[in-house]
Amino acid sequence: MLLDVGDLKINYGTVYGNLEAVKGLNFSVDKGESVAIVGESGCGKSTLGLAIVRLLPPNATYRGRIVLDGKDVLKLKKNEVRMIRGTDVFMIFQDPLNSLNPVKRVSAQLSEALAIKQRRAGTSLDEKAAHKEMVESLTSVRMPDPEVILQRYPHQLSGGQIQRVVIAMSLMMRPKLLIADEPTSAVDVTIQAQVIKLINELKKEYGMSVLFITHDMAVAYTVADRFLVMYAGELSESGPVNKVVKSPLHPYTMALVNSIPTKSRSEGQLNAIPGSPPNMLSPPLGCRFHPRCPRVMDICRTNDPGNTEMDERTLRCHLYG
Amino acid sequence: MVSQFPLFVARRAVNAVVTLILMMALVFALIHVVAPTPDDLARLYTGAHLSQAQLAQVAHRLGLDQPIWIQFFNYVVNFFQGNLGTDTIYGIPEILVIERFLPITFEMVVIGSLIGVLIGVFTGAIAASNRNTPTDYGIKATYLVTWAAPPFLAAIALQLVLAYYLNLLPPTNVADLTLVAPRVVTGLPMVDSVLAQDWPYLVSYLHHLVLPALTIGLISFGSITRITRASMVDALDKDYVKLAYMKGLPKRNVVYGTAFRNAIIPIVTLIALTFAFAIGGAIVVEYIFAYHGIGYFTVDAVYNLDYPAILAITVIVGLSVIIANFIADVLYGIMDPRVRLT
Amino acid sequence: MRLFGRGKEGDSTQGNGGSGAAEGLKGRDAAEVPLGESSGLRFVYRFLMKDKASLVSGAVIVAFFVFSVLEGVLQQVANYVRQPSLGWAILPSNPEILDFGHSLATPTFAQFPAGILGYDYEGRSILSQILYAAPRDAVASVLVVFSAIIIGMLLGISAGYFGGWADEILMRVTDAFLAFPAILLAIALAFLLGNGYYTVLVALVVVWWPTYARFFRAQTLTLKARGYIEASKLSGIGSGRIMFRHIFPNAVDPIIAIATLDFGNVILTYSTLAFLGIGVEVGVPEWGSLTSEGLGYLPGVWWWALFPGIAIMVIVVCFSILGDRIQDLVGGRLTY
Repeated sequence: MLLDVGDLKINYGTVYGNLEAVKGLNFSVDKGESVAIVGESGCGKSTLGLAIVRLLPPNATYRGRIVLDGKDVLKLKKNEVRMIRGTDVFMIFQDPLNSLNPVKRVSAQLSEALAIKQRRAGTSLDEKAAHKEMVESLTSVRMPDPEVILQRYPHQLSGGQIQRVVIAMSLMMRPKLLIADEPTSAVDVTIQAQVIKLINELKKEYGMSVLFITHDMAVAYTVADRFLVMYAGELSESGPVNKVVKSPLHPYTMALVNSIPTKSRSEGQLNAIPGSPPNMLSPPLGCRFHPRCPRVMDICRTNDPGNTEMDERTLRCHLYG
Repeated sequence: MVSQFPLFVARRAVNAVVTLILMMALVFALIHVVAPTPDDLARLYTGAHLSQAQLAQVAHRLGLDQPIWIQFFNYVVNFFQGNLGTDTIYGIPEILVIERFLPITFEMVVIGSLIGVLIGVFTGAIAASNRNTPTDYGIKATYLVTWAAPPFLAAIALQLVLAYYLNLLPPTNVADLTLVAPRVVTGLPMVDSVLAQDWPYLVSYLHHLVLPALTIGLISFGSITRITRASMVDALDKDYVKLAYMKGLPKRNVVYGTAFRNAIIPIVTLIALTFAFAIGGAIVVEYIFAYHGIGYFTVDAVYNLDYPAILAITVIVGLSVIIANFIADVLYGIMDPRVRLT
Repeated sequence: MRLFGRGKEGDSTQGNGGSGAAEGLKGRDAAEVPLGESSGLRFVYRFLMKDKASLVSGAVIVAFFVFSVLEGVLQQVANYVRQPSLGWAILPSNPEILDFGHSLATPTFAQFPAGILGYDYEGRSILSQILYAAPRDAVASVLVVFSAIIIGMLLGISAGYFGGWADEILMRVTDAFLAFPAILLAIALAFLLGNGYYTVLVALVVVWWPTYARFFRAQTLTLKARGYIEASKLSGIGSGRIMFRHIFPNAVDPIIAIATLDFGNVILTYSTLAFLGIGVEVGVPEWGSLTSEGLGYLPGVWWWALFPGIAIMVIVVCFSILGDRIQDLVGGRLTY
């Protein structure tokens, strides 16, 4: 197991009060596996990603464990955390417009990453070799004219190009775990396809584990081996991709799967999930999904559903236990 | 990809000139609102109590009875030729008065606001990277207080403590009155005394410079710190900062390298504003410290109803601010590649 | 987050309802989390008062204005009925007295409350003079800021809305105005227009309006960029209505923060002018003029020159803290 998250609770202290962003989450990621965390905006998936790399803002408190390659990230000291960033775990972000430093050329930013990698590996490259390496990594992400791109500033690149530069960066760092926080949400469909393809290749060629965070179930389906569906800071359902999509068990998962527009259902209305996500400052009691659940029972309103294992999946729903 | 920098500079320069002309038009319009007839104008410019006939003569001689457009044209032309009217107190051309006093104020304001800006920028960065810690609160309290204090309060307080009570620094004047000023080459006292190798004067001058410059710095410090803090907070939130952490860079590099480098870009334009504000503060500061620069002269001019002086100073200061803005714009172009490249 | 008005546009800065709560908190532990019941004056009040600093500041400002209104009214009535003692009825002592027995007396608690800030050369209580001068500053700040907002709003929204030449002209003109340090321009204007309380206020309005014009223009342009104005035009609403019933309410929220800060700024500039003798009428104390009177007695007699300045500082700090808090509430960045 590369990543083991247990009993993770994350709270934010805000001026409005205490916000429970993640409540009691458990999951794991194996070597070479890609897991998609799927959920609506505000369900805590980004918080989860940031927690793994300890990039949460100072008003966040956390409990539980996040064990990455044998080390509990939450218990590491500051400079130890720095050491795992880059080479053990790397994270790429959502909005390409803000992903790269606007005042530095692409070559400078890539060589920064390369230098750190070299220093940790105990090797070093001279300028020419470093340059060659950067060109190679840009080529691997299908970037035309890598020499030209290297000399450019981020504002001179398109969104898709920036995403590819960032992916090239992860290539150079060669982390064990790559966390991708909604990398497809801010780009158009063609770029989406490219990004997904590249990430899949990274996984295959380098055996990288991928934690793919997204709200788009359709995208998640093309990338992941396993799903983890989150709602309001809690796990709803997790399991192999095919099973979860073809026969979803949790009502929320069912609703998500149903809401994907497909060709065979080209007439009729779009199936949205009624209601809206809860106010995380005072979430509903019992199962947090109960106000919107089509199959809600009395017990759902008062009791927290525990974890149930069935059919290769982990579930939290009173319908099943 | 072609560097658009020369074009950028050119456009900014044109902008500056247009603003300058408009600014002069503004002053010109003001004068004519206050003094609508040629006789009124003549009285304004000569400050003397002349008879009606004499006023009419003066008006005609100065061309004050001509159509307004011609007058404005003459006004602008005169300005660029260095003719700013005649001072009613000293009786000499205004331009000479300004030449005499402006460099003294200039040095003081530049040094003072530079101190304020440099300290302010770093303090703001420190506050932002330690957000909501006691350090942050302390810094917030400091900039609140320094910003809210009227210029005269800061000056008086510093004068009382550092000069009168602690006897560390002289309370008034530009330099020891028993010393003779070095030969005027540039008009800037520090430069001139170095050129003349007049070390005693230089020491005395610097000694006297501390309090006024410190006061100016204190005045500028408040707004710079606050804005820098806000800008840094914004920058620290950006994804590319998170990416920098992800590469494994230490916090120091990320905060003072990546984030800071991006955060100060908008601050550059604020520096020009600070300079303008500091000049305003200089009027009060010079008065309190009996520091004989253009600010002190302005107060004198107000007391003595010296219209040509006030008008000349207004236009000159306006020009300085426009120049400062121009320099800030150019600096912005240098620092932010988004602005100067296609 | 909407403070006033049922603004025709949706919430301008964040997403709706409770979604985005955690994401929206990424770096900001301040007030960007939208709430369930998140509007209405009661919430505003609670939010402003939650922070101790803004609570105290708010109290001081309210006291300042209430006192200024009372004292100001008393002074006017005193003038009108020619009964000067009314003017200092609620003050610790007579600010226009000549009592050389107390001349230059140091601050002491023995003579509470009139003596706690000391006395000047004529034996007048510094505290009484400071209080006596307060209404003039309060009135100045309110009149100047509101006038500047109105003028700036009319010109700025029109320029942003109509665009083209009108916009260019406004930009260049405000550039010309903003090329001057506020104090210098105010001095020049007051100097030219003549010395008096109201001419000084006029001078200050002339100095202040460009900032607001620019702000309203920027807001209008932002709304324009969102296609919101186009939509209104297409539904056939006339320009006037668009500008005043649609653009203005959306621009108002951040203005409240700026205006609060500016109340303090105006007082700073006004008192600096008073310090230089501009706008001061003979015998009427002003915070700035008190300071300059006290200058000559430094360093021995420090209270005369120092305390009026401190009074200004306290008031301005309170406006500043309150303004910051309001800005937290309104959220978003202010761009000019």
